[in-house]
Amino acid sequence: MHEISIAESIIQIAEAKACEQNARSIQVIKLRLGTFTTIVAESLQFAFEIARQRTLARDARLEIEIVPMVVRCVVCEESTQPLHGVCLICEECGFPLEIVSGEELQIEYIEVDSDKEKLPWSQYQNEFQSRPTS
Amino acid sequence: MESVPERISVQTNVLNANQQTALANRERFANEGMLVMNLMSAPGAGKTTLLEATIKAMQGKFRLAVIEGDLQTDLDAQRIQALGVRAYQITTGTTCHLDARMVARALDAFPVNDLDLLVIENVGNLICPASFDLGESLRVVVCSVAEGPEKPKKYPVMFNKANVVLINKIDLAEISGVDLNELRANVREVNPHATIFALSSRTGEGMPAWTNWLQQAVATHTSAAMVK
Repeated sequence: MHEISIAESIIQIAEAKACEQNARSIQVIKLRLGTFTTIVAESLQFAFEIARQRTLARDARLEIEIVPMVVRCVVCEESTQPLHGVCLICEECGFPLEIVSGEELQIEYIEVDSDKEKLPWSQYQNEFQSRPTS
Repeated sequence: MESVPERISVQTNVLNANQQTALANRERFANEGMLVMNLMSAPGAGKTTLLEATIKAMQGKFRLAVIEGDLQTDLDAQRIQALGVRAYQITTGTTCHLDARMVARALDAFPVNDLDLLVIENVGNLICPASFDLGESLRVVVCSVAEGPEKPKKYPVMFNKANVVLINKIDLAEISGVDLNELRANVREVNPHATIFALSSRTGEGMPAWTNWLQQAVATHTSAAMVK
């Protein structure tokens, strides 16, 4: 269940970016996830719901764009999407195929609430104190 | 008070932090001039027995040490130490893989200078360890014939990332009803570039081809490091 570690990393990266921009909270995290990774989108959503608690992303939605695996023959340059299993040998000429896409695990953007400057100081403090100390 | 949603571009790989630490580990290993092998397999494929047999073939010729990764117990480290080789056990608790930070922390407690070869035996798992670069220069995946011929097809990411695939327990091929050629072909399908050795660490069959290859790799690596 390494999706938990992945979800924590996603939140760490998103929080760092949100803090840079003085954002109050994160609403959306947009992720591109390839099908040739070891990450399962459904498990990641579940892990994200646990990992987001007590963070700036506690109300955030994780939007996952699935990137299909595309392979290309280095010789005949034919690109294909393997649909049933993965075979990295070209059916036409027997040469190795290279992976064009499908290995993505990339945060594209976040959407944040940027009204922080309007918040009263007491709410800043609450925000700060509600964070875990670890 | 209306909140104003604002989109901020991030464009960052989720594993970025691990990759940065792996990069630092790799630099540290390069400075020390040692070859670092990340040894991975499913639980029960015979990683530790294979490692014991590999160590016996290399002992006296190269300076080596082992970092063991397991959820619980230091049984594997004890087995390596019994051969007179330095070993350090990382127990991950519940984490199903080693990551670069765990290795970096281990290196602080377990000095690895004056080595030719450092083997990191990962947690037995064919899924998660594939995603976490530790800073190694050689990725070895072991699969035993007793697991059936389809493991590479079922866990393509892990096999795709390997430099070397060791097909272990070939002494059990007949009794398991597994065709070695089919298993080899299945490895090729997901990794046309891998170097494949079929062997049995229990009977020793096929071991010399692998250990000779590894000795060559270590010798080439350390001499290249000396030139630098």
